[in-house]
Parts: sequence; structure tokens; C-alpha cells
Amino acid sequence: MEPVGVGLRAAHYEDFLARKRDVGWLEVHSENYFGEGGFDLHVLRRLRADYPISTHGVGLALGSAAPESDGHVAKLKRLVEAIDPVLVSEHLCWGRARGRHFNDLLPLPYTEEALALVIARVSRLQETLGRRILIENVSSYLEFRASAIPEGEFIAELARRSGCGVLLDVNNLYVNQLNHGSDARAAMSAIAPESVAEIHLAGHFVAPHCVIDTHGDRVAEPVWALYQAALERFGAVPTLIEWDTDIPPLEVLLDEARHARALQAEACCV
Amino acid sequence: MRARSRRRPAVSELAALQQAFGAAIASVDKAAESAPIFRGPAETALERLAVYRGNVVGACTKALAGAYPIVAKIVGESFFEGLAREYLRRFPSASGDLNEFGGSLAQFVANFPHTQDLPYLPDVARMEWLVHRAYYAADAVEGSGLRLAPACALLASRWPLARIWEIHQDDYEGEFSVDFDAGPERILIYRPRFRVLVGAISEGGYRFLERLRAGAAPEAALDAALVAEPGFDSGAGLAAWLEAGVLIDAKETA
Repeated sequence: MEPVGVGLRAAHYEDFLARKRDVGWLEVHSENYFGEGGFDLHVLRRLRADYPISTHGVGLALGSAAPESDGHVAKLKRLVEAIDPVLVSEHLCWGRARGRHFNDLLPLPYTEEALALVIARVSRLQETLGRRILIENVSSYLEFRASAIPEGEFIAELARRSGCGVLLDVNNLYVNQLNHGSDARAAMSAIAPESVAEIHLAGHFVAPHCVIDTHGDRVAEPVWALYQAALERFGAVPTLIEWDTDIPPLEVLLDEARHARALQAEACCV
Repeated sequence: MRARSRRRPAVSELAALQQAFGAAIASVDKAAESAPIFRGPAETALERLAVYRGNVVGACTKALAGAYPIVAKIVGESFFEGLAREYLRRFPSASGDLNEFGGSLAQFVANFPHTQDLPYLPDVARMEWLVHRAYYAADAVEGSGLRLAPACALLASRWPLARIWEIHQDDYEGEFSVDFDAGPERILIYRPRFRVLVGAISEGGYRFLERLRAGAAPEAALDAALVAEPGFDSGAGLAAWLEAGVLIDAKETA
């Protein structure tokens, strides 16, 4: 797989359909292609001929204590079978309670109970899809008092016991470091190098009381520095540039992707 | 349930924490009660719960505006934000796929006190939800016999929905006027390729397509159409609908 990809958003469909771009692969939010047909799926099928595609789910809310939604899993399975993505990922989060879905990536309490639940859910999902999935660490604005396991160890244990891979979001680690005073490098050092199969990079927004994971800006300098540390530990893992709010011209994303590729080249030749 | 003697099953710690977190996101009134489950001062927890609340409201408002662009234009952006907030409170999202959020908006605006001066709004919402669903519907594939394409829907209304739809399209350049007294109307929602279109159709055409969709044979559907509209011109209708991808005929495409 090529080293650096970008997130595919509808705002850039035309750019990608017009001509082949210098980018390693494209990642889409799975739920945007849950329809039985229509334009989005049509575009994805077209681009699949030119680029490897990865699907990144935002709606399974795997860590919810509430029962799973079989319909959602079935739609994901249909998409994965139709597109045959190179990577399939979801988030380490919860999102459903009492029949309501919050449609946000809400942080879990890092407890043995949560760990056991997520391991069971991830294992079942991998069985249903018949393939290994990656699980991404999320950004958070709050930490539970009940949390007893450091984030890095929780992720490492999930990967070890479920066999899933890790999608390491370096920006999220950095956002959490600013919001909670946690140590992003310590979290990385807890995760086994061979388990990390993808890295995410994105921009954040520094608000007065909190750092918010907006995916609405260029990657911040300290996040690039953390990315370099990640490359040293995990090797030249496939890396994705994500941008979801105030989406700029595609060139800006491709520029960020070039920078990531340069850092990868540097890291491998040190 | 007075006879129940067993205690309620204990809610797990995880479920209890998530329910408390969820309650604080759903309602600011519950935030103070839930704040102690989080690390740090309560004041910080309240500020950050507000960030989550804002994210959830923002994502749902964006999804709702995406599904209902005409309703949003009719009521205006800031009013729509308030409407979306209240809708979310009454009809919270139940799916991890935000494209499924908003299916009850017609019912909501029919009862919303602040939109009672827009009596056509519920039917506009009904139309837009069908358009939204048609956008994601299966592509037409060749099959056996004459049938309606999956991305088609029918709606009858006392309001001129096709005209309301037309003047709110981004590429519409004509006069911005609607005759609200034009009388009852039937519309067809269809997707020739990927863009969903809305057009008015005659009573006979409506009945014909409705019967066909229900599984009737073309001959029986035609009989029903002629009962509803004695002058119904089936030849012209069929040709136009096949051309526009409303109807699929295996014999034509094979």
C-alpha cells in the first residue's frame, strides 16, 4: 500500500473524477456509502479502479453498553463486500444509550468491564466481516474518574486480545495530552509496534477551555513532531490526512500529504 | 406490575456511566448531576459537556438541513437551527447513520406551534424525505417485466409541491412565485440517473404507477388509471417514463 492517502469527501469528487491525483489511497466514512445505490456509491466504484480504498466507520459505537445494531453491521458488511477495501476501521468509543444514538465518538471509561465488552464486540465484528479490522483511538474532552487503565495500555490490550490492528490517530493523542495532561509519547510506547497498521493526521482547534478535534485545519506543528516520533516507533505506516469541516481545495490536502510523505522518507533513511 | 417481587437487574457500571454521560449531553439540566463522574473540577466538566452537546446538536442540524434544504430555505437558517434543536429533543437520532436521521420532520412541523402559519410545510417535508430516500435508493437494474425503478416515489398533496420544489432548486432562474390555490396535486419523485427530480403528474398517471409499484400487471394498472382518468394517454406516459428511468422494461433494455 502506498504511504500516504487522503480522506475522500463529496467536495472533492469532481477533482478526483477529472484526473488521477498523486495520492496513495482514499479513505471514506463508511456510513456515507450505506445506500443501496445512488451517486456516492457510483463515485466510489469509479475511484476504486484508480485508488486503493479504505472504509472508516463512525457509527457502530462499539463500546456502547446498549445492545448492538445488527442493521448497521449488515450495511457495513454489504459495503465491504461491494468495495473490498484495503483497510476497514472503526473507533474506540461509545455512542448509544437508551435507544438514542449521539452520533459522536464518545470516550469510554478505561475499565476492565469496558475492555471486555470492546474485545467481544471487535472480535464478533471481525468474524462477521471475515477480516481483521483496525480500531482508532479517539480525542476526548472529558475523562472518567472510573478509568483505571492508561489509554495506551487499553488499546494495546484490545489489539492483543482481539487480534485487531490499531489505527493510531496522532492528532487525537495530542488533543488528549492538552485536554487531560496525559502523555502522548507514553501512550505510543505502550502500543506494540507491529499492531499499528494506519496513522491518522488532522488539524484541531484550540478553544479557550478545551482543544477541539475539528478536522478543520492543517496539521499543527507539535502534531507533526509527534508523527515523527510515531514513525520512529512504528515504521512508515500508511498515513491518512483527514479534513471534515471548512474543507479547503484538494491541493491543500495533497500538500499535507506530500509533507507526511517527506517525513516518512526522512524517518526511513535515518 | 405490583406483583413483581424480583429486584430490577443491576445496571452495569459501564451502562450507568454512559447513561449519565448521555443524559448530560441530551439535556443541560442533567449536566450538574453527571459532572462528578468526570475527573477535574465540576466547572470544567460542565464546560466540556457543553462542547459535546454542541457537537451533537451541530451534527444533527447539519444532517437535517442536508435532508431538508427546501424547508431550511423556507423558514430561514437561524429559525431552522432552533427548529432542528427542538426536533432533536423530540425525535432523537436512533441510528449510527445520520442519513437516517429526520424521518419524522413532517409530523413534527405539523404540530410545531411556530410553523402553523406555513400549512404547506408538512407536505414539503414529506416530499423532501422521499427525495432524500430516493437519492440513496438502489440503481435501476434490468429485471423481468415492466416495473417502477427503486428510486421512485409518489405523493399526493393539496399543495403545489412540484412548483415549490422547482423554484427552490439552485439552478432555477425563473420567477419566484407559487399559486398556493392551484388545487390538489400529485407528484412523482424520480432519479433519471443520480439527481433526484420532482414533477407533477396526472391522476391517471399517479394511479398507473402506484398500481404498478404495488405489483399489479401493466394491464390491470392501466385499467385502474383509466377509471381514475378516462382520458389517460398511456402511450405517451409509458414512452416518457421509460425515457426518464421511472419505468424499467426488461424487453426494452435486453
